[in-house]
Amino acid sequence: MLHMRTISKIYRTELVETHALRELDLHVREGEFVAVTGPSGSGKTTFLNIAGLLEEFTSGEYELDGESVRGLSDDARSRLRNRKIGFIFQSFNLISDLSLFDNVDVPLRYRGMKTAERRRRIGDALERVGLASRMGHYPSELSGGQQQRAAIARALAGSPKLLLADEPTGNLDSQMARGVLELLEELHASGATIVMVTHDPELAARAQRNIHIVDGQATDVEALPRPGHGGLAATPSRI
Amino acid sequence: MTIAPILRSLLARHKTAGSLVIVEIALTCAIVANAVFLIGERLQRIQTDSGVAERELSRVQLAGVGNQDDPHGQTREDLAALRAIPGVDSVTITNQVPFGSSSWNSSLHLDPDQSEPAAHAALYLGDADFLDTVGLRLVAGRDFRDGEFLDYHPEEGWQQMLEVDTVIITRALAERLFPGDSAVGEVLYFGEETPVRVVGVIEGLMRPTGDSADAPGHHSVLLPVRTPYTIGGSYVLRTAPSDRERVLGDATEALSRPGASRVVLEQETFEELRAEFFHADRAMGWLLLIVCGALLIVTALGIVGLASFWVQQRTRQIGVRRALGATRGQIARHFQVENLILTSAGIVLGMGLAYAINAWLMQRYELPRLSWIALPFGAVTLWALGQLSVLGPARRAAAIPPAVATRSV
Ligand SMILES: Nc1ncnc2c1ncn2[C@@H]1O[C@H](COP(=O)(O)OP(=O)(O)O)[C@@H](O)[C@H]1O
Ligand SMILES: [Mg+2]
Repeated sequence: MLHMRTISKIYRTELVETHALRELDLHVREGEFVAVTGPSGSGKTTFLNIAGLLEEFTSGEYELDGESVRGLSDDARSRLRNRKIGFIFQSFNLISDLSLFDNVDVPLRYRGMKTAERRRRIGDALERVGLASRMGHYPSELSGGQQQRAAIARALAGSPKLLLADEPTGNLDSQMARGVLELLEELHASGATIVMVTHDPELAARAQRNIHIVDGQATDVEALPRPGHGGLAATPSRI
Repeated sequence: MTIAPILRSLLARHKTAGSLVIVEIALTCAIVANAVFLIGERLQRIQTDSGVAERELSRVQLAGVGNQDDPHGQTREDLAALRAIPGVDSVTITNQVPFGSSSWNSSLHLDPDQSEPAAHAALYLGDADFLDTVGLRLVAGRDFRDGEFLDYHPEEGWQQMLEVDTVIITRALAERLFPGDSAVGEVLYFGEETPVRVVGVIEGLMRPTGDSADAPGHHSVLLPVRTPYTIGGSYVLRTAPSDRERVLGDATEALSRPGASRVVLEQETFEELRAEFFHADRAMGWLLLIVCGALLIVTALGIVGLASFWVQQRTRQIGVRRALGATRGQIARHFQVENLILTSAGIVLGMGLAYAINAWLMQRYELPRLSWIALPFGAVTLWALGQLSVLGPARRAAAIPPAVATRSV
């Protein structure tokens, strides 16, 4: 699903050159739930941004869903993002001017979907995260946990191949965090490929596999099956 | 189209700022529509057709000082002297000219017992060279014959000039007096007694002062009357356009012979006469144009300001939209559509307001009713202004990178 080979990312400013990623190799298979961990500043967000086509990389090879993304135009990258990727952000990033319905609608409209199809998908997605009754509400009228679930509904609505989450529980208290994580596990159980960045080892432990990024380089830490964490046991691997 | 969610977000979240811009656009639209209408009116006035060969005509106006003996003889000598100036094609004398400051008028009756006049018209008194010199075109009938001319002697009373048997009238007047008929051969009356026969119809000849409340601009009657220069009329000279200035100089010199007890009051080309005549209209047109321009600039700045503020305020939102798959074009279009909604609302409001302003102007300044043609002008101007103003902010919005969604907190 996601294959990165010797990906480097260098941020150049007038004074400094930051090597955010150094020849990073990273692979995620379809149906996997991968947690990416690492110290602050190690390059996790950079990796996620490149994976999600939000930023370009300096060198290397990146293949998403069997297609090389090197040299794609900005419009082509936008369309690819729109169709194949669902984003879940640390700070939810719901659009405060829009109701939940319209928020979930945003990526569907950019895809140019028909009204009836959009309605159905919005309803289904909000249903799935338990917010169907809140369609007309504005983000400010919801709790943090509800907002993040709405954001997940938005990420889901377009049936993307890949869900990317950057510290999805970072702004939530532990109870709400648990709710969101359970939702992600559910999505994974039903077949979604999820890459989640987190610095919380406890959350990471619930993923199928951990990838540790240090200083812009990835070390694969194959998670061992542990009792009490159903993620792996419940999901037949598709490798 | 993404109108619905943009409209909903405007209504839910940006009512105040949005309303302010809408009101600004409405006011501008209303004022621009009215100004365009008024400018159009002035332009139309400025382009009024006088009916004479303006580009080739000049006039010299004399005033006698003290008693003049034999003014008719003097006039004949003047005409001969003017005709002798090289470059002069022909010369005539008339009591008045288009765009001149004075106008001789009469009411016209179709039968002597009629108490209400059938029309009002300007009276042009001209000699045998008048028609050709000023460049009038006969569309029916004939020019005056030599025997039909009489000399006007003011000391015998002004009615003496009406003792003619024949007149030529303009087409506009003919259509008014004898609708559907050829006017040639018809009889009309000056005042209630003096009958005259129409022998010719000319295409047009503007009344000296143009349109007035009681008569349209081209209601004129030509009388076969030779006037002396002493009654305030003008010598009219026809020359090639390039000769006008020189000929005017020569003419002034020729007419200011020493010992003659008279002075040159005015000497100018008809183009100068026209420019002077419409000076106020032109000035008003420019003033309105400048006011409109200033207003449009202020409105454009208002739109640019609000759009820039919104782009800045929504930087993160724009990043998120890009992360969710919006192309740069879709982001730019978002702001363009938003602008279109605001300007359209402003224009709709502005149309109503335009009529309100017009009604008030009509009441206060006796202006005509706003023609609906001014409205699309106002609308298109503001739509264009809105789209032009939002272009910069929209492009800035489109340039916001998608990484903003994960990078800024
Ligand atoms: N736009 C940028 N310009 C310059 N340096 C950047 C930029 N974004 C990230 N960096 C640097 O790249 C490195 C990796 O950052 P990031 O991927 O955000 O780390 P993490 O998410 O693991 O905390 C850091 O040193 C950070 O300062
Ligand atoms: Mg980070």
